[in-house]
Amino acid sequence: MTSENQPESATDSTPGATLDGTIWAEVDRALAGITARAERGVLDLIVHIPPAEIVRGLRALKHDTTLQFDYLRCLTAVDNEDEGIDIVYHLYSTTARHNLTVKATLPNDDLFIDTATTVWRAANWLERETAEMFGVRFNGHPDPRTLLMPEDMDDTFPLRKDHPLAEIELLQGDGMGYTEEDR
Amino acid sequence: MVTESAHEFETRDLLLNVGPQHPSTHGVFRMVMQVDGEVVRDVIPYVGYLHRGAEKLCETMDYRQGIGFMDRTEYLASMNAELSYVMAVEAIADLQVPDRAQWIRMILVELNRISSHLMFMGAFGVDAGIIGTPMIYGWREREAIIDLFEEITGDRMMFAYFRPGGLAWDVPTNFAARVQEVIAAVKQGIKDLDGLLTYNEVFLARTQGIGVISAADAIDFGMSGPSIRASGVHLDIRRDEPYLKYSEIDWNVITATEGDVFARYNCRLQEMWESVRMVEQCLDRLEPGLIMPEKMPRMLRTPPGEVYVRTEAPRGEYGIYLVSKGGNRPYRLKVRSACLSNLQALKQMSVGQYVADAILVLGSIDIVLGEVDR
Repeated sequence: MTSENQPESATDSTPGATLDGTIWAEVDRALAGITARAERGVLDLIVHIPPAEIVRGLRALKHDTTLQFDYLRCLTAVDNEDEGIDIVYHLYSTTARHNLTVKATLPNDDLFIDTATTVWRAANWLERETAEMFGVRFNGHPDPRTLLMPEDMDDTFPLRKDHPLAEIELLQGDGMGYTEEDR
Repeated sequence: MVTESAHEFETRDLLLNVGPQHPSTHGVFRMVMQVDGEVVRDVIPYVGYLHRGAEKLCETMDYRQGIGFMDRTEYLASMNAELSYVMAVEAIADLQVPDRAQWIRMILVELNRISSHLMFMGAFGVDAGIIGTPMIYGWREREAIIDLFEEITGDRMMFAYFRPGGLAWDVPTNFAARVQEVIAAVKQGIKDLDGLLTYNEVFLARTQGIGVISAADAIDFGMSGPSIRASGVHLDIRRDEPYLKYSEIDWNVITATEGDVFARYNCRLQEMWESVRMVEQCLDRLEPGLIMPEKMPRMLRTPPGEVYVRTEAPRGEYGIYLVSKGGNRPYRLKVRSACLSNLQALKQMSVGQYVADAILVLGSIDIVLGEVDR
């Protein structure tokens, strides 16, 4: 596992006791053999899975008989600058009606992850968008074209934090755009 | 692509480009259809013509400024779009919304749902070949709702009326009377549309059994809203994960089992009746009170954290994934578009249909390209 795996302290979570009342026990059981780590989010449980094991983990969550995460709500990424890029999956079960957030942290020097399109077809366009916006590559994606960006725009990644806004935003005054030292 | 033929004549599939500027695409959407005679063999959708980078812009603006961008993503149901956004900020900042603000929000989002569905009825009628009348019926009552919104918020489409914590200002004193007036007009409008389309034999022949998608496929593609409920999937965030006051009033989730174009149309039509019922109950429960928490900071700052808030917008699940690292602006804001996920299933629904029916299939998932492209 190469990810830096740094806890983000996104919430004031301490492992163990605070996960009571969540579905962590079932998730932990379904993810047997995968080094997963959980924290309590504002609404949903957040589970960190190493990128190398992500598809195996997602498939286990989908096919588990009690969890049944058959619905991919959302797939996106967050650029944490020096700490790498998080790929975030929001899962839902249409039968058991519970939610789960799954995260995989990619280090900046290895922005490759296996595609989730083999688990849910819903991941197809969402991964295309994530790829073009963040420069992440989804191994084995069936249709790796751009989605919202022009076809030939394959070297700039607009939602990365180091991508500047256009000049006009800089002219709009303090607080509206990046300052010179931010760029 | 060359197809094999038993005769010496060579037949070839035709590539038919629809859009990006085309009345049937409801915005700037392009699809390239591979057609064999009149039958669609493949569909390649192209989106992104309306991409404005709303997510990136929100990262550079404070929480209040982001509301305006949400209006401009889902411009036919701006209230619903704003609602997800302010609820995400409220969840992360741990703000309690006063009851009155919640009831008013609920009235407005349900009215906006009706106005959005009315627009769908009008546009869909045109897709089905009934030029004129459904459009006029749909837009007549939509206009009444938009007039009401204008009286309340000062704007017809880009309301920017919800605030993290509550509302920008209270509704006018004649609010309840005006809503009742609008509801009376809307009821007549729904009846008119129902009578014009639902039992129209030509309309039924055009829509029934077309563009069928199974429940399993719909779930796999991540469809939501009336488009998935028409396939027999009982999925409605208002009931499954109640927000606002949906658990306190009496209403039904509308589903159908056929999964065809007509079922998607009919779900939306019946949903309007449910929305009318909801608005009437909300009006009864509306009491004077605060519309914002008493202690609100002038500049809202949030603690670090992340939240994915989802609400049931007219087209399905409108989700906001908000990551905060402290401060007065989002670190990352992702808009989960219902239409984007619904549109992914277009190929599944259109292949094997006639070209004319493919247009109806596209119409039946009711896309808003502003929301797809963001």
